[in-house]
Amino acid sequence: MDSNQLKLLRKLMEIEFCLVETNLYLDTHPSDERAIRLHNTFVKELKELEYEYTTNYGPLTHQNMSRCPWEYIKGPWPWEIDYCGCD
Amino acid sequence: MDNKDMYESKYKLAHAYVPFQVMGRVYSPDKALCKGTLFPELYMPYKYEKEKKKC
Repeated sequence: MDSNQLKLLRKLMEIEFCLVETNLYLDTHPSDERAIRLHNTFVKELKELEYEYTTNYGPLTHQNMSRCPWEYIKGPWPWEIDYCGCD
Repeated sequence: MDNKDMYESKYKLAHAYVPFQVMGRVYSPDKALCKGTLFPELYMPYKYEKEKKKC
């Protein structure tokens, strides 16, 4: 797995985690405009990262398009990835 | 102190309180993932965390 793919996966995890956090905060602070802006910024960034990943490395989830043959089963699987090497 | 004492006992019930969080600064995404929260005010590890490796 090349290092850029690894970096992208790591960044995707980071942004997805931040979206969980803004979601939880907004559940109890629905009119906090700054939090909503922060949330929307993370959503935009996530979409860009997803686009960059899928165009370069194929489907990230089963909901992404694939060339033929079906790329989703192309390894490595998430549990086979060692993230500690990336920074 | 067995259960019986607890029912007739003079201990006051606990008063739980949760102050309302106001978002201030936030961690950067990479730090948030490591810390386990986006909000510095919620970062409360049980023991003092020595500077440990990133992952």
